[in-house]
Amino acid sequence: MGKLFRSREGAITAVDTKSQLATLGSETAPGPLLVPAGAKILKAIIAVVSSDLATAADGTFFIRLEGPGLPEGPESLVVGATGVQVATGGSYIVPAQRYELDIPVTVSNEILIFAENAGEDAGSCNVGVTLEFA
Amino acid sequence: MSRTITVEGDVNAVDTRVLLTGQGSVTAPSLVVPAGMTKIKQIIAAASHDGAADDGSAIFFVRLGGNAVLGGEQVIVFAGAGNQTVQAGSDAAPNAMVPFVIKDTDIDVRPSDTISIAAEFAGVDIGDTAIAVTLVYGK
Repeated sequence: MGKLFRSREGAITAVDTKSQLATLGSETAPGPLLVPAGAKILKAIIAVVSSDLATAADGTFFIRLEGPGLPEGPESLVVGATGVQVATGGSYIVPAQRYELDIPVTVSNEILIFAENAGEDAGSCNVGVTLEFA
Repeated sequence: MSRTITVEGDVNAVDTRVLLTGQGSVTAPSLVVPAGMTKIKQIIAAASHDGAADDGSAIFFVRLGGNAVLGGEQVIVFAGAGNQTVQAGSDAAPNAMVPFVIKDTDIDVRPSDTISIAAEFAGVDIGDTAIAVTLVYGK
């Protein structure tokens, strides 16, 4: 079996707030992210963070993976950080990063993806996460 | 042996699925998976934006679908971008991105069938964007 890639994205608008990533752009209600048939492990995640740079602050970002699709329990990973000196300018684009993992999964069960901004309030932010199953 | 296909297009609205069907001077490259190719072995993707929207914050992703893709639509995030105040004048920040690459992608495809390659950005409108994606096929 080849690999299978499933994604979700969502917004973070407050610091230290657990926010579920439950949309997918034009798909506003893609439904639960279920571990696809045939998958045995979560082989990697691919993640990226964006910020509108609207606050002069510095923050970090991490994600939480939870739900019955993860028989060993919840996981958390740092996926980025942003900061800006003044809140009146700035513009950027960055590539996503892939993080190699080896986490058992349970087929047909849900994995919930959450993201948080820690440190200082980094403005209005968005996080995208792809789960790579094998 | 490997084969490649590159497509590109403009995505100028948030939360809008856009099929990437052009290739610069070639307006309609073939999206048929070459004979004998059974895997997408590598994905290369890049995006840029013009910084023309205030308070922009977006993540970019590609959708691989169509009859050729086995296992359902594959959706992969590949970039993130932000923009504070509309960029203008000689001090405007450039938005250049080193391509995102996934090696050993290992997505099953059916040769001689058609693949669809679409892209989107989600979040808050970031301005006009251009996106290009290369798929490297193999066995």
